[in-house]
Amino acid sequence: MILLTSALIAVVFGAGAFLMLKSDLFRVVIGMVLVSNAASLTLMAAGLGIGAAPIHPLEGPVSDPLVQAMTLTALVIGFAVTALLLSLVYRVYTSLETVDLDELSKAEIRREEELEREEVSI
Amino acid sequence: MLAAGLAIAWLAAVALAPLDGRRRWVGWVAAGALAGALLAVLALGAEVLRAGPVTMVPGGWPAGVGIVLRADALGVLFAALSLAVLLAALCYEVIGGVDSRTFPAAVMFMAAGLTGLFLTGDIFSFYVFFEISMIAAYLLTAYGEARQVGVAFIFAVVNLLGSFLFLIGVGALYHVTGTLEMATVAARIGEVEPNTAILIAVTVFVAFGVKLGLFPFHFWLPAVYTGSRAATAAILSGALANIGSYGVLRFGADVLTEPLRFGSTVILILGSASILYGALQAVSRRSGAEVLAYSTIGQVGYVLVALGVGGVVGLSAAVLYAVVNSLNKTLLFLSNGLRGWLVGGAFAIGAFSVVGVPPTAGFFGKVALFQAGIEAGSAVLVGLIFLGGALSFLYMFQIYQHDFWRGERTEEPTTPGNRVLIAALAALVVAIGLWPEPLLAASREAAEALL
Repeated sequence: MILLTSALIAVVFGAGAFLMLKSDLFRVVIGMVLVSNAASLTLMAAGLGIGAAPIHPLEGPVSDPLVQAMTLTALVIGFAVTALLLSLVYRVYTSLETVDLDELSKAEIRREEELEREEVSI
Repeated sequence: MLAAGLAIAWLAAVALAPLDGRRRWVGWVAAGALAGALLAVLALGAEVLRAGPVTMVPGGWPAGVGIVLRADALGVLFAALSLAVLLAALCYEVIGGVDSRTFPAAVMFMAAGLTGLFLTGDIFSFYVFFEISMIAAYLLTAYGEARQVGVAFIFAVVNLLGSFLFLIGVGALYHVTGTLEMATVAARIGEVEPNTAILIAVTVFVAFGVKLGLFPFHFWLPAVYTGSRAATAAILSGALANIGSYGVLRFGADVLTEPLRFGSTVILILGSASILYGALQAVSRRSGAEVLAYSTIGQVGYVLVALGVGGVVGLSAAVLYAVVNSLNKTLLFLSNGLRGWLVGGAFAIGAFSVVGVPPTAGFFGKVALFQAGIEAGSAVLVGLIFLGGALSFLYMFQIYQHDFWRGERTEEPTTPGNRVLIAALAALVVAIGLWPEPLLAASREAAEALL
């Protein structure tokens, strides 16, 4: 079970990291979501145990409720951050009319060259 | 008492969020609330310095069950510093005219996040407060020109990766120690298998390295700092970078002491690389914001080197330098882009403080570093600190000459209020240099709280 969980986390994290290296901003966001879920799974796995639901009155061994509370918090934060990232992508699209990192960096290089020319002319 | 500063900042942030931040009164209300939170933290600090750490379990839970809020000298010092920096940057922007609906509320959310983060005794709430202040920072970096949004996106993605690494570290710490309370984690980490502990420590260190903009994790930093508004850059380097300094100090010297002992050589090497890389890059740049951005990379290296030396001398040097550097950077970033003789004088004071010339605050930061270097008994370290200082002299005054003597600064005219604000900040830097005892005592107290 431990091996299976860690393999699952590794695959999710790896897929997320792979997507984050893409130049399309939407894929970067999806990669970010996968990485955040890998972190949530790690939190769950930190208190992985077999037991009854931890509801009062407690009977016999119960599973760890703390990791579930932490994971829930992490999921909510991840959700908020995803919404923020998507709104940033939308603003990038409306103001620069591209969602491709390569195009963005090309625009950046053009801007730097302009700055350099101004510098030389001074 | 402990939660007062946090509560003021938080309630003000929530109340201000729906209001239009471009209205001047909204900005001043935010500044007033921030000043109130700062006063509450200062009162708490006086109590901590007099009677030792204050602990509180909110919600009436018994100790050991509830989530702990804990204020010691280190946390209070950083909380007061960050709130003061945020207050200065907020006043600066409100005087100059806010251009975005969200700016005052975002600053207040960051104040709430930072206060909570420095005053918590629980590693998971540390993560939650950390995310609150980071989300506010993502909003603040997007504030400015249109092309800044792309930079803000990259900043957000890189720092989110750091945050999630930290979250994984929190999960791992919980797994090996079975608790989230910092003091208990610190007590139990010694029994954990060294390999596991080091792996966790590396994860946490990388997460804070990204925040600090330390040498191998610095790549996002210059683009963000150069494109941002002056107030945002000041907040990022004066308040947000404190998370990194506080994080490496708290998690390195207090919680993960054993792994830090194993890793001190690596920390010294990374710190030295940061100092040299930042200084050399800064010398080769010509725009004020860029030089300051690379200088930031160099300055965090000193904090790391002092942490690597360790002991009371090393740790108090790290605390002192982090505080002084944050004040310097706030002054310099805020004065960058203004003009006039008052601003020129303030910039020169900030530059002297970065270099470490008396009677500025930076002098005592450098003296503490030299003491730490001598304590470590390493001539290389002392030479490195000297070399870093000499290079910083070079790049600071290149910029001074370029911007003020050649009269390159002919941008928008400055409002008189902001010039007075900058002059007040410069006066504060000089005042600390002339009367350093309170800060020296506080940083020594903070270092002793860690040991």
